[in-house]
Amino acid sequence: MSLIKKPKLTREGLLAIIVAAFILFLSLTTNFSSKSGIYSFMLDVSPTMVAAIGLSMIIFTGNIDISAGTISGFVAYTAGALVKAGAPMIIFVPAAILVGTLLAGLNGYLTVKFKVPSIVVTLAMNMVHVGFYATFLPQSGWIENLGPRFTWFGRARLFGIIPYTFLVAVVVAAIFIFIMAYSKFGKKLYAVGGNVQSAVYSGINPDRIVIKVFFIEGFLIGISALLRALTRNEVMPSMFIGRELFFISAALVGGVSIFGGSGKITGAVLGAMFVYLITIAMIYLGFQDYYQFALQGIIILIAVFITVADFSNWKKKRLKASEGAV
Amino acid sequence: MNEKPILVIDGIEKSFPGVKALIDVSLDLRQGEVHAVCGENGAGKSTLMKIICGVYQPDGGNMILNGEDYSIQNPNDAYARGIAIIYQESSLFPELTVLENIFMGHEMQKPITPLLKMIKINDYPSMRRRASAIFERLGMDIDLDAIVSNLGVATKQMIEIAKALTFDSPILILDEPTAALTSKEVDTLFGTIRKLKTEGHSMLYISHRLDEIFEVCDRVTVLRDGQFIKTEDVAKTNRDKLVTWMVGRNLDTLYPKIEVDIGDVIFEARGLNQEGILNNIDFNLRKGEILGIAGLAGAGRTELALAVCGLTKLDSGELYLNNTKVSFPNYRSAQKHGVDYISEDRKTFGLVLEMSVKVNLTQKLQPKISNIFGIIRRNEEDLYTEDSIKKMDIKTPDSDFIVENLSGGNQQKVSVAKALVIDPQILILDEPTRGVDVGAKSELHRIISTLASEGRSIILISSDLPEILGMCDRVFVMKEGRMAGEVMRGEMSQEKILGMAL
Amino acid sequence: MSTFKKKSFTSYLSHQTILVIALFVVVMIFGIIEPVFFKPRVFFDVFAIVGEIGLMALGLTFVITTGGIDLGVGYNLQMSGIVFGLTWATTQNLALAIAFTLVTGTLGGFFNGLIISRTRIPSLVTTLATMYLYRGLSMIIAGSNNYAGFPDVLQKISTTRLFGFLPVQFIYLLVLFFILDFIYERGVLGRNLKGMGFNENAVIYSGVNTKKILLGIYTFLGLLCGMAAIVYLGRFSAAKTSMGDNMNFEVITAVLLGGTSTMGGIGSMRGTLIGIIIIGVLKKGFSLLNFSGNIYNFTLGLILILSLLLFSVMEEKKKVSSRKI
Repeated sequence: MSLIKKPKLTREGLLAIIVAAFILFLSLTTNFSSKSGIYSFMLDVSPTMVAAIGLSMIIFTGNIDISAGTISGFVAYTAGALVKAGAPMIIFVPAAILVGTLLAGLNGYLTVKFKVPSIVVTLAMNMVHVGFYATFLPQSGWIENLGPRFTWFGRARLFGIIPYTFLVAVVVAAIFIFIMAYSKFGKKLYAVGGNVQSAVYSGINPDRIVIKVFFIEGFLIGISALLRALTRNEVMPSMFIGRELFFISAALVGGVSIFGGSGKITGAVLGAMFVYLITIAMIYLGFQDYYQFALQGIIILIAVFITVADFSNWKKKRLKASEGAV
Repeated sequence: MNEKPILVIDGIEKSFPGVKALIDVSLDLRQGEVHAVCGENGAGKSTLMKIICGVYQPDGGNMILNGEDYSIQNPNDAYARGIAIIYQESSLFPELTVLENIFMGHEMQKPITPLLKMIKINDYPSMRRRASAIFERLGMDIDLDAIVSNLGVATKQMIEIAKALTFDSPILILDEPTAALTSKEVDTLFGTIRKLKTEGHSMLYISHRLDEIFEVCDRVTVLRDGQFIKTEDVAKTNRDKLVTWMVGRNLDTLYPKIEVDIGDVIFEARGLNQEGILNNIDFNLRKGEILGIAGLAGAGRTELALAVCGLTKLDSGELYLNNTKVSFPNYRSAQKHGVDYISEDRKTFGLVLEMSVKVNLTQKLQPKISNIFGIIRRNEEDLYTEDSIKKMDIKTPDSDFIVENLSGGNQQKVSVAKALVIDPQILILDEPTRGVDVGAKSELHRIISTLASEGRSIILISSDLPEILGMCDRVFVMKEGRMAGEVMRGEMSQEKILGMAL
Repeated sequence: MSTFKKKSFTSYLSHQTILVIALFVVVMIFGIIEPVFFKPRVFFDVFAIVGEIGLMALGLTFVITTGGIDLGVGYNLQMSGIVFGLTWATTQNLALAIAFTLVTGTLGGFFNGLIISRTRIPSLVTTLATMYLYRGLSMIIAGSNNYAGFPDVLQKISTTRLFGFLPVQFIYLLVLFFILDFIYERGVLGRNLKGMGFNENAVIYSGVNTKKILLGIYTFLGLLCGMAAIVYLGRFSAAKTSMGDNMNFEVITAVLLGGTSTMGGIGSMRGTLIGIIIIGVLKKGFSLLNFSGNIYNFTLGLILILSLLLFSVMEEKKKVSSRKI
């Protein structure tokens, strides 16, 4: 019995190779490898990377958050409004992240306390959020001319090529990869998503874990929304409507099982890159914007199909029986 | 063995809304003993164990551990106080590794750096060493990084035990640990139990299989209807006494076999193949015969049954019914030909527990009792339902009662009755008495015998060898998807069957 | 085994009673604030505007009963409507346009059903994906075109008022409701759908081909989306890529409001019908009060959340009172 884990090609490893190959391909065939190409890729991928980590953690526990996009809208609006009111970064950043945390936490609370599936709660919340923007926020939440106090971080670069936002995303990813591997909490997420009953037997309180993970997701959604908002001179909450699709597909492409209980943060991060590379490739190939809707749908289907193929392996015997009933 | 009790349970009471689950139950566990707790389903064994482990809180009574008050709020407290349980249902996480599983919820940790003592992280090297040591103690070689879903049932059971041992608990509770194991695996498990006993562990052992109690246990406590009946030294009791205490009356016999004149071959299977699962299987079945199928778990017995009745597809092979070639492209066509299957797992495959007795009973009858638009003719449905409730003696207030609220034995009867309403000539029963208590077991055996005496043919898949010996006219032993041998009733013995299965 | 307790239907009944009361209250509120609401011509608008939502909601009740969901019915309607527009614009043949619309909707549902029944990808993910797929397809087909100028016949078949007040689309809805309700409550299909919602394996092991049923109900829902598209186009006479945007949510709300459980197994067509009418009342009431669509959405979301919480509390009570013995 060896004490050292043997290396083998995992799903994440495979995805990393695909992503690398894709980057190579784009570099050779387009001007992707130019300074501006690399910069804009890193800038675009950062928010999705961070949010995909949050969504993955939710999905590990067997839940989902359809309102992740619309929560981002509130985060951006809060930041924008506070900047207009003259708040410094030290205030508006934590405040905006707090808004995200609380809104997602509310989803978690309702899911757990009333035993309503998170899909329905967050779907309804999505609607409430969108209605709220237009009904209660002045000018539907549109704030312009925010000025450099708002945008300096989003537009700052290290060595003139690496956006600060990407550095934030990398640090967040590193922290959460570490947490999932080296903390009790990380293992508990898989336990709750894998087998709730056993989790209870292992002394885990699933309700508490699920509420916690929604709060953490909210925190990450907060960061993600800022990484996107801070690059622009204006905020518009409705800009974030539908973003959850990118987050979810990044997680699913990364091998996070929609059934809960398995998947890796590394996968979600690579998944986010993959989703963007595809988008970039589409743009280079000259497809219109709206092709991306259709493509995104297809990517999700293929990604999940691969996961389910694995999953059915796990439940081989049971599924065999049901498959026979043609 | 030390006479001094390590854990004393005194006058425990527990009610759930509408029912008293435990009434004044007392028990004492001595240092280094294996103490059996037995009783029929619903006697309160599992509730008692869950109270000891902190899953439930008792309404009354007290527990004393090592002379100190033992009142706990959750499973973690129980582990912390030195009591670990191995649950009846698998409590493993299929997508995680062996190592992650056995330390779930109580990972060993170390400070992230010597400087920052506050922040602790999981200490994998220590966990690996610890896990290796435990598996070594259990005499097992296992890859700690294997994903649990890829492992066999017996290995999973050993992992559960290893998980319990990581707590270093002096007290272990084993809840039906052999339910899913085959005879050989049971022997290995018993070896482990004896070893743990000599190391000074005390164990509470819950089982339906009485033979096991006589094999490994020192004392036995019997519960009935939530009440304490008796604690006795195993050496001073016997099987019949135990059964009487459990059931509260004398059972005439566990295997009421009716001798039937066995007729001609009614069903024949030739060269059944399913890649990687079934390998060239031939067998036949006579009218009025009870044919047993024995074998280890994973030998392909259930798979054979599923393939025969069209629930899975065969790669090749031929089926003959009354010497006419038939094929069952789906399950319903098998039913139409009078071949039916009753699953081993009534909760997952047998019944829709949340629906009424009536709906469950007539589920297979749907084509017969509905009109061309698929609308159910209610009069006919009621007739069939009432008839079948009466025939099977299902104890239910009325046919609209939700199955989930019936007792386990009655649920099993619904599951059998559901097959009988379509009047099958060939009935495949898959572990019909697994997890059923002695009283219901005897009743189910009587039903099986009666069915055979009515001229039906029965295929009885069972891991319970005494049941095979007691009930079957002929037994067909499977091994690794092949037919390993066939034994007639006169020549049957446990050793012979086991010899073929291994 | 001590005593038997019968699972009562009181909570189930009270559920529908609550709905009817809620409906009555909402009607009264709007009536008092804006008395014009009670004028027959206006009041029957309520039934006119729920035609397309209602058709889809009835079909979705089947789907949700099995424990599944379809998040994208509105986009299926959109895709079907765009196909209508395109066919009409190119051929000027109404029969052909209607046929293509129905076929498109049906295919949309069939594709969902095929994936869900064959691959066992959860319906949630499947329809989330196909919802964007169908939306994308609508945009790809339409480009920047809006289709309009449909024949009057179209308007007649989907928006005529019988006796001057009763909207014909509501009659379609009622006819379909009676058929589906009968199947749901008394039919083999209804029983198997509920059984699948609770425990699909047990239904398979009774010899029922659940794959076929799944494929069937999603396809049927697709057909209803196609029909809904025609009703919709009759009302608005223009096919554009924004049509149906809001309907995904309205339709799901109608079904869940009606008491069908997303966990599967429990549900009622009658509840769905009441849910549909409540949505119609809100929609009409809000437009009379000149509230924006956003306030309507906001309220709808809140109502859905509140109703789910209420039902979950009721369900919890029911469970305690009939706990397993």
